[in-house]
Amino acid sequence: MTRSTRIFMSCIYWAFVLYVFVPLILMVLMGFKDSKFIGFPITSWTLDWYVGVFEDAEILSTFGYSVAIAVLSTAISVVVGTWIAVVLEGRKFWGRAAMFGMTILPALVPGIISAIAFRIYARALGIEPGMGAIVWAHAVHNVPFVVLVVMARLSTLPKSQIEAARDLGADPFVAFLRITVPYLVPAIIGASIFCLLLSFDDFVRSFFLGGYEPTLPVLIFAKLRSGMSPEINAIATVALVLTAVVGVWAERFTRRTNKEA
Amino acid sequence: MSQDVAAAGRRRDAVSGSDGSPVFWGRLIASAPYRALMALIGTSPTRQFVLLAALPVLWVLTQHLGPMLQMLRVSFTDAYPVAVGAEQNFTFDNYLRFFGDSIFWMPFFRTLTFAAVFTFCTLIITYPVAYFLARHVSPKNRMLMLLLLLIPFWVGEIVRTYAIMILLGNTGAVNLALRTLGLIDRPIPFMYTSFSMGAGIVYLTALYMLLPLYSALEKLPKSLNEAAADLGAGAWTRFRRVTLPMTLEGISSGCTLVFLISTGFYATPVLLGGPSTTVFAETIAGFFHVAGDEWPTGAAFATIMFFAALVITFAFQRVMKALRKGDS
Amino acid sequence: MTTPLVRIDGVKKSFGKTVALHPLHLDIAEGEFVTFLGPSGCGKSTTLRVLGGFERPDEGRVILGGQDVTHLPPEKRPVNMVFQDYALFPHMTVRQNVSFGLELKGMGRGDIVRRADEIMAFLELDRFADRYPGQLSGGQRQRVALARALAPDPALLLLDEPLGALDAKLRGQVQQELKSIQRRTQKTFFFVTHDQEEALTMSDRIVVMKDGRIEQDGTPEELYFHPASRFVAEFIGETNLLSGEMRGVEDGRVVMDWNGHVLRGRAPAGVPRTGEPITASLRLERLGFFGDRPDTANAVQARVTSKTFLGSRMAVDLEVADAAGARLRAYVDTATGQGVGDAPVWLGWDADSLAVLRT
Repeated sequence: MTRSTRIFMSCIYWAFVLYVFVPLILMVLMGFKDSKFIGFPITSWTLDWYVGVFEDAEILSTFGYSVAIAVLSTAISVVVGTWIAVVLEGRKFWGRAAMFGMTILPALVPGIISAIAFRIYARALGIEPGMGAIVWAHAVHNVPFVVLVVMARLSTLPKSQIEAARDLGADPFVAFLRITVPYLVPAIIGASIFCLLLSFDDFVRSFFLGGYEPTLPVLIFAKLRSGMSPEINAIATVALVLTAVVGVWAERFTRRTNKEA
Repeated sequence: MSQDVAAAGRRRDAVSGSDGSPVFWGRLIASAPYRALMALIGTSPTRQFVLLAALPVLWVLTQHLGPMLQMLRVSFTDAYPVAVGAEQNFTFDNYLRFFGDSIFWMPFFRTLTFAAVFTFCTLIITYPVAYFLARHVSPKNRMLMLLLLLIPFWVGEIVRTYAIMILLGNTGAVNLALRTLGLIDRPIPFMYTSFSMGAGIVYLTALYMLLPLYSALEKLPKSLNEAAADLGAGAWTRFRRVTLPMTLEGISSGCTLVFLISTGFYATPVLLGGPSTTVFAETIAGFFHVAGDEWPTGAAFATIMFFAALVITFAFQRVMKALRKGDS
Repeated sequence: MTTPLVRIDGVKKSFGKTVALHPLHLDIAEGEFVTFLGPSGCGKSTTLRVLGGFERPDEGRVILGGQDVTHLPPEKRPVNMVFQDYALFPHMTVRQNVSFGLELKGMGRGDIVRRADEIMAFLELDRFADRYPGQLSGGQRQRVALARALAPDPALLLLDEPLGALDAKLRGQVQQELKSIQRRTQKTFFFVTHDQEEALTMSDRIVVMKDGRIEQDGTPEELYFHPASRFVAEFIGETNLLSGEMRGVEDGRVVMDWNGHVLRGRAPAGVPRTGEPITASLRLERLGFFGDRPDTANAVQARVTSKTFLGSRMAVDLEVADAAGARLRAYVDTATGQGVGDAPVWLGWDADSLAVLRT
């Protein structure tokens, strides 16, 4: 490869970096603009929008609502997903491929269709739109990601580990709790954080299954439809910082545990 | 002393628990409720596995497959939810309605076209990036440079869509830059067009293309390219004859993923698109905002969308597979 | 005879269409060091896993200490195992690994600490009690695996090629250690290996397996000097195989014709009929060198074709006179080896050294 192509390729990379970062940076900057109107150039700066966000009880409660939904749905996804992964990775059985296909189905259904299907099913189950419905939809939607991550980790657990535990007097259940679960911890933590972010960021399911109270993305969407304002930038920036910090920390965590393993 | 070791172990068996009661795990497995539970589960591995698998199978059937089947069922009814005293009848009308009015099938074909075009754009944009990362960067820096790209993707769909709105608005950064450079006098109306929508969707889906491409390219041995160069193949020929065919699998899975995701966007087209770019997701959503009796039509349209997406991705994968076979 | 500790009674096991074990019968006495020896796929590991409870036999029974354990899961058997990859629990310290089985036996905290201390001191692991397996060397890990399996005081200890992961130098040392641990604890060891040298060094008794069947069962000396079959003769050590024709039986000795020489050998259980082809094994070190025709049961004259210096001894290749180019190989001490030259020598060996093989 010649020198000039190398330089050209690296230019493409950095252009792409600009493409993915610049919009977010601009959005963050706009939250500090001392004017009601969104637009460049920014001539004077202020923190008022942030002060406003942290003084607005409704916005703060929306943050809490979104976090609560994320935590609850993640708890369900992790338990169910791990359980399914243990079954799928456990042994060969009739219909295993079909079960795997059904397991990852919710991750493959396009967003709007998934939201509609959940909406109809929630009514069939008698779940009223609101927190319960959103938690349920997020939980189901995120299970496939947990299954994939946990299965990948589980497949690297040497069979002899479980056999050794059984040999030393542990029944299958105790062997699972004392050997398998500790081994899965890094995968479970990684999957949990992924689920938390998926749930926290999700718009379409929250939108169609929500009741009166909006989640954070739904709130931003609603505010955007009635016009742009630096207040939205401030809200979005707080959400962005929250997710990016958690995401980066998770990435570092998984990398560290992978190195140790 | 060694015989003491053996003997001591045996002695302790006889007087188990002489020194304090058993520790947690020993107590647990000796406890009556636990023993009752274990007796219920039994010792046959097959029985144990069936008990273990029962709940997951039930979950997957009712929670993963259930919503899709219910949607399918509702799409063939004339009313949902059923009003008190009314009857629910089987009907094809919801599907027939789709073909009856261009206001319905236009957005449908537009969505599929857009999704295909945006998927192709994503591929074109991310392939060089993935290639650069996998082939030109030292393994030490590679992870770091990849992680750098991942950061924006932790941010949600709505926030990123909003970021694009600020970038492309009439008083947005791009127009400001162009005006400062003196290239334009009046702002270019990027927003509420298929361009702004495309920019947004590519922005949202790029990662799902980048990662499969990157892993496909990373697996590709460097020696292959060198061997091709040795045989006198030029850079373009090498790419076309060696690199591209070897990464078809990554391309195939990346495109499938991005296509499926692109067809499902709702908020992004609403915020970034205009009247001329209405997508099918908006059409479907429309049936759920108004009175409940439109739900069956919405379900039917969602079903049409889902099967169309499935058929297209399936056909696409078949073509890619044929291409792969043809080349090897 | 007292009742055996272990009785494997007609155990049969198949995996799909492959038969891993043909109905197998075997008794193991308490305190024995029994080695199952054979190439991979011979059924030795399957036998071990049946004893451990990891495989359920299709037919037959496993009796342990008078109790039928055939259908007991591993956790209910007084049997512990040292795994090939040690299978130490990576998230537990050495002490926690060793205590694992004790906790599940329902022992109290004080007893667990004392027993773990005892067994770790016994295997010189006390210094590593708070380390994790990842921080130990291969040899240390192997000892932890042994300590963990011995701690619950099992009636039978299973060892699945536990030395395979060690380098050659360490292996010799660990062999001695294992043997001495077995002697000192007086435990019954069931050891599985494909390494014949390992088997010969450590075992009280070796069971050679081939294709899911027992090929021969005996002490290391019996197996070495009196192999019952060609497979055993060739699998264990180096040997001369002499093929000839059966002549008959005289004074309890088989008389055979080997390229015109009449040889006398040790008879196997079933003697071939006169005139049938016959093969006998003659260990290399059983050949004696003589200046004149010796007084031994068998004697042939031969010429040295090559000599290989092996340090403490020498391998000498010979061509036997009047025997249609038949060759023999012998081990002699270096002094004798250097003494023989181009002149023909006499080779002699007694009838007991020539083991006639089962056909």
